[in-house]
Amino acid sequence: MEQINSTPKPLAVETTALTKRYRSKAAVYHLDMKVPTGAIYGFIGRNGAGKSTTLKMLCGLAAPTGGEIRLFGRPAGDPMTARRVGCLIESAGLYPNMTARQNAIAKAKCMGLADMKYVDKVLDITGMGHTGNKKTKLFSMGMKQRLGIALALLGNPDLLILDEPINGLDPEGVREIRQLIQRLNEEGKTFVISSHILGELSKLATHYGIIKDGSLVEQINREELAHKCTDYFRIEVADTRRALPLIAEHLPGVETEVYDSRNIRLYGIKDGAALNRLLVENHIPVYASGFHHMDLEEYFLSRMDGTHHPENETNQEVKNV
Amino acid sequence: MFNLLRMDLYRLFRTKSVYLCLATLLAASVLSFWVMWLTSTPEGRKAITGLDASVTTDSNENDRGMVIISVQNESFPILEDYDILALFREIGMDGGAYACLLGIVVSIFVCHDYKSGFIKNILSLHRRRWHYIACKIITAGILNLLYLVISFGFCLLLNALFHDLVPLTDTDSILFYLSQSWVVTTAFAALFILIITLTRSTSAGVLASVLLGSGIIVILLLSLTQLWSWNSWADYTLYYNQTYMPSRYSTLHDLKGYAVGAGFLILYFAAAAGILTKKDI
Repeated sequence: MEQINSTPKPLAVETTALTKRYRSKAAVYHLDMKVPTGAIYGFIGRNGAGKSTTLKMLCGLAAPTGGEIRLFGRPAGDPMTARRVGCLIESAGLYPNMTARQNAIAKAKCMGLADMKYVDKVLDITGMGHTGNKKTKLFSMGMKQRLGIALALLGNPDLLILDEPINGLDPEGVREIRQLIQRLNEEGKTFVISSHILGELSKLATHYGIIKDGSLVEQINREELAHKCTDYFRIEVADTRRALPLIAEHLPGVETEVYDSRNIRLYGIKDGAALNRLLVENHIPVYASGFHHMDLEEYFLSRMDGTHHPENETNQEVKNV
Repeated sequence: MFNLLRMDLYRLFRTKSVYLCLATLLAASVLSFWVMWLTSTPEGRKAITGLDASVTTDSNENDRGMVIISVQNESFPILEDYDILALFREIGMDGGAYACLLGIVVSIFVCHDYKSGFIKNILSLHRRRWHYIACKIITAGILNLLYLVISFGFCLLLNALFHDLVPLTDTDSILFYLSQSWVVTTAFAALFILIITLTRSTSAGVLASVLLGSGIIVILLLSLTQLWSWNSWADYTLYYNQTYMPSRYSTLHDLKGYAVGAGFLILYFAAAAGILTKKDI
């Protein structure tokens, strides 16, 4: 597993061997999550991978059966730490027979907030200030999600844990929530966001955690991901053992990555045709080659499969030689 | 915990079922007083005759099949043994109707947290989950106190409106009965909170309120255990202590309701807190 770069700031979330078992089945197993303070951590995985269970444990809604959770360097059970966390897990928990403001006031009272001006502020921030006396049972899914985020923002928490926050939002709503998250992140808030909409998540996240079958497959930051997803030249040759020394000799600045006995990825190469010529002139048959680019979705899928599958990649140009 | 209580009280007074159940209690009082007034006072009987009801001494049927109620000038002895506290008990307390209604309100109120998902907002902030149960029981206790005071006060008002239909009870007895009733019915509420914590279902809570509050379960079990001549256990149930609660203090044994109520209250609180701590949200 690759580790994210260490930062001087304390980690907002740190789990050590976090485990959650339901009878004999482990929903989360030995999860070591590290979320730097100020990051937007995209938590991705398939349905049933253990994302929601992990987030519930971070929020104190589910008890771990093993391991440890530390938030801002302190145990998660610490009452003072709990106040620094705002969460929206699965669906927005709202009283249906109350208005948006009444729901927000109920949560504010629960938190012990005396100044109700902050209630109006978070409602305005999330665009829910205009809903008046409309009961939340009459809200659309998107409105409920926005109000859920508003409730999570109450108390000005330092860490926001959002499980599928853009579910049910229209494109305009998605953009507004994205802008809101970015704005709050610029103010120093840390986010842990789980979402299946990877395209949207890739516009936000600074760090990623990929979970599969309850275990963290990879933690990676934006730069590392960009590097891994960057344009590269893939070449399929008859024998990589013969091709690699030749590439190293003639293209010393090019980074290579061998996938199997026939496929090589080359990062930082500009002239693919010249490489093809070089290999052919040295009697190394080239079966296929071309420039490729992966996005987060493709990278995620390749990690989910456990191996990198070149066929998953977006083929911009393939030249058969 | 005080913050949780503030939130619960804020929500309590915005819950429709709270007012519906209170209205039901008050309506039952009005109906009881009205029937008592009609059947037990000369004015009431005059009102019946004013409605062109034929009146004889014995109840029988006229040629249209209508039941004819007897009305005579002399007063009925029906209210002779009654005072305001006895009438209050007859209206809703002794039969278990009050415990049922309180149970229904508490079930709806507590289960709303689970059904709406708002409990996630609460328990992510309040990691000591017994605080949540304690607050629900305190809220139920406050609601119970309000219900008892309002419904008894309403009975006093009705008695005055019906020209002192029954004599008043001494204040000591009223306080003794109401306080003991409060302990027992709050323990009932704690039982329903335990059931909601366990099942997270409003239907289960309402059903339990009806079956346990009205004493159906206790009576069924008692009829079974009586086959083996074992019925002393019923004296230690909430239902029996509510139904056969003494109206005034005379011996130390009359305090049994407090002890049983407090015992069950603590037991149900501990069980509910334990279950909530163990279960994931």
